[in-house]
Amino acid sequence: MSPPERGALVVVGGGVAGATAALTISRHGLPVTLVDEQPQAGGQIFRAPTPHARRQVPPNHEFSDGDRLRALLAASRVETRPATRVWGVSPRMELDVLGPDGIDQLPARALVVANGATERLLPFPGWTDPRVIGLAGASILLRNAGTLPGRRVVVAGAGPLLFSVAHQVMEPGGHVVAVIDAGRRGDWLRLGATLMRDPARLRMAAQWMTRLRLAGIPIHHQTHIAAVHAAPHGLSVAVAKTGRPGVAYQYDDVDAVACGHGLKPTTLLTRTLGARHRFDSAGGYWEPETDSSGRTSRAGLYATGDAAGIRGAAVARLRGLITGHAVALDQGAITARDFARLTRRPRMLLRRLDHVSRTMLPLLNASAPLFRAIPDDAIVCRCERVRAATLRETAATGARDLNQIKAWTRCGMGPCQGRMCEDGARGVLAASCDLPPEEAGSFTPRTPFFPLPLAALTGTFAYSDIPLPKAAPL
Amino acid sequence: MTMKPAWPDAPVDVAVIGGGVMGATAALFLARGGMRVALLDRQDLFRSASGVNAGTLTLHMTRAQLIPHAMRGREMWLTSREWLGTDVGALATPGLSLAFTEGEEALLRERARVRQQAGAPIEIVPPARAIAIEPGLNPSIRAAAYCALDGHIPAYRVGRAYARALAGAGVSLFEHCAVTAIHPSGNGYDISCAEQARPLAARRVVLAAGVWLEKMLGWFGHTIPIRCLINQLVVTETMPQVMGSVVSIANGLLSLKQFANGSVLIGGGWQGEGNIHDGGTRVIPENLRGNVRLAQHVIPRLSQAQILRVWLGLESETPDAMPLIGALTPRDDAFVIGCAHSGFTSGPYMGRLLAERILGGTPDLSAFDPHRFSPSSTPEPSP
Repeated sequence: MSPPERGALVVVGGGVAGATAALTISRHGLPVTLVDEQPQAGGQIFRAPTPHARRQVPPNHEFSDGDRLRALLAASRVETRPATRVWGVSPRMELDVLGPDGIDQLPARALVVANGATERLLPFPGWTDPRVIGLAGASILLRNAGTLPGRRVVVAGAGPLLFSVAHQVMEPGGHVVAVIDAGRRGDWLRLGATLMRDPARLRMAAQWMTRLRLAGIPIHHQTHIAAVHAAPHGLSVAVAKTGRPGVAYQYDDVDAVACGHGLKPTTLLTRTLGARHRFDSAGGYWEPETDSSGRTSRAGLYATGDAAGIRGAAVARLRGLITGHAVALDQGAITARDFARLTRRPRMLLRRLDHVSRTMLPLLNASAPLFRAIPDDAIVCRCERVRAATLRETAATGARDLNQIKAWTRCGMGPCQGRMCEDGARGVLAASCDLPPEEAGSFTPRTPFFPLPLAALTGTFAYSDIPLPKAAPL
Repeated sequence: MTMKPAWPDAPVDVAVIGGGVMGATAALFLARGGMRVALLDRQDLFRSASGVNAGTLTLHMTRAQLIPHAMRGREMWLTSREWLGTDVGALATPGLSLAFTEGEEALLRERARVRQQAGAPIEIVPPARAIAIEPGLNPSIRAAAYCALDGHIPAYRVGRAYARALAGAGVSLFEHCAVTAIHPSGNGYDISCAEQARPLAARRVVLAAGVWLEKMLGWFGHTIPIRCLINQLVVTETMPQVMGSVVSIANGLLSLKQFANGSVLIGGGWQGEGNIHDGGTRVIPENLRGNVRLAQHVIPRLSQAQILRVWLGLESETPDAMPLIGALTPRDDAFVIGCAHSGFTSGPYMGRLLAERILGGTPDLSAFDPHRFSPSSTPEPSP
């Protein structure tokens, strides 16, 4: 379907990719609307810190870069709609939004999806305890609210965020009890070699590792949390070696566990709009197919930043910039020559950084043995309390598709719409049927994208306002 | 890992096309009657209308002529453990249909009268009685029709129960198996599927393909336009109890119930957009708003609800909105079942009737004869 003639240029997501895209479009003299669910732009990495966090957390480039981004937006002609969430979209790219003034519809003639990433958690018994939080969630708490999740914290999962969060816990005086890493030590050494091409990230990683080592914090590679139990003096964390039965390490009196298995692109909008998606086997997730400027398979629809594949903030900024120029080109505001000139340098830089980011993807991707190791009694879908055993039994009954699993078990039917459990359910299903994970598909996205207050939709009305259809046949 | 059944080499006694409630029930009873049965579905079992409908067991909304079938179907759902092997969670509740205006009251009385004559125990009750039955109702109602026989069933749970029962009865199930052609053979039919190199040989065929029936009926010389309704359903997050019955309105365009887990399901056949060929359906915003406004008007405490999910289910309808059940050929080896209004309620009973008919019984299916639309249909299939 071709995009509508009328409507605004809309960017969804005020993180580094979306804000940069909106600023770029605006610089070419085009009116653009930036819809962001946060009260202030910045996304996850450049999220505006609370006043408390500004006093607590040492000055860092995320604060300063975020402040600069917000200042640029404030000084620009970008129309920002903060605290506004997209809850649906029509095939004609009319966005349904819920903002401070209630619901509204926003027709888009071009739509840039820059809604970032969703955190993945690998289920284990006890992960639903409120003291177990995501790595990205922990990072927001620490960095942007200046609050420790607890004094004694176990950090677990995979990927660079593991060491970043461990460092952030230590910064304000928290104690990292242990780092439980699903990756191998060798993975990190190999990554070190790749990181030579991205000195800024290499420096930061080296600094985190040095601090952890100096503090004598145990780092266990090729391990995962076997279970977390609530004990009288806090949480008790059992750690297993991957592929081996039994408990290898045990940590007690833990206040909080921060754990995560990397990120996946948030694809609700691009999937609802019917853009083509591909399964990135390295990352273990679905992403919209895009060209090098962020154009999806659907005219007028773009995906940029982590929404087009997980690459991190530096790549997201460059992607947002290039997509912004591409929108200007497609709208006829600049020529193809202008576009080539404006994007030449960003593209060179992007190629280098993109390579480094891609190398990290397999580190974040939980493998089949990890899904096989999930015990039967572990809850996979926390909204509906569906356990791994139920998914395995259902697979044995003949269900092969995530939507069949959903119908037969309620897994993914709860308020989070399967955002939290989809990866766990896909992994358990694929591992128990020996299927490639992509064959299990994904949950069909449904409107509304998040629970929508019914009263926001009904508003004030009289019975006579309801357009009752004609009577059903007698 | 469960092994998928092998594509049969020898002819099966009957191939049922369409794994929804009609086809799957027919397949189940045919297998129990001693036949070798293959059940084919273009998608997964119970993933279309039969898995995503409102699960209402109401007599207020079913077509008057189908009341006896709906009552038998409702009874079967409530006793599913006995014949399906699993309790699918059907719950008997009272049912109310409401009138808010003078015009609606007249409609309510007329529709109740016709249904009473067809055997539904429906009576008109004053507002106070309706509110005693369902305290959550908007007190501004003028009149209500009350039926003791109503109830609901979580439709999405039914497919899993059927999967077990079909396997237990020895039905060979082939999912993701879209039928592309049916050719007559010496001793029945050759059924071609996109996914299989050679056709399936079957002595008899049953078409139970719901909204996809029209084209298949054409292969047997029956030209019957099948209209596709795209029914909207809205489910809320779980919430404290706001209602205990099934509630509708006089014109039939609302179904409202709260399940045991606390979620409220809002339906009634408000339409979405889409078509079965391009795939994909979508919500019409005015219809979403209209449907939930009506629900909130009926049960005012729904203003506290959070809408969790909206989806659209496909329903098939013939020109006279009556079902198709019966033989398609004089050879009595090809049959159709489907297009029943409130088909989920009466589905198990209708499926069992067709199985009975194929196994040699003589149930009265005259009102559903497909030849009523195409009296001149050719006796042999012409693919």
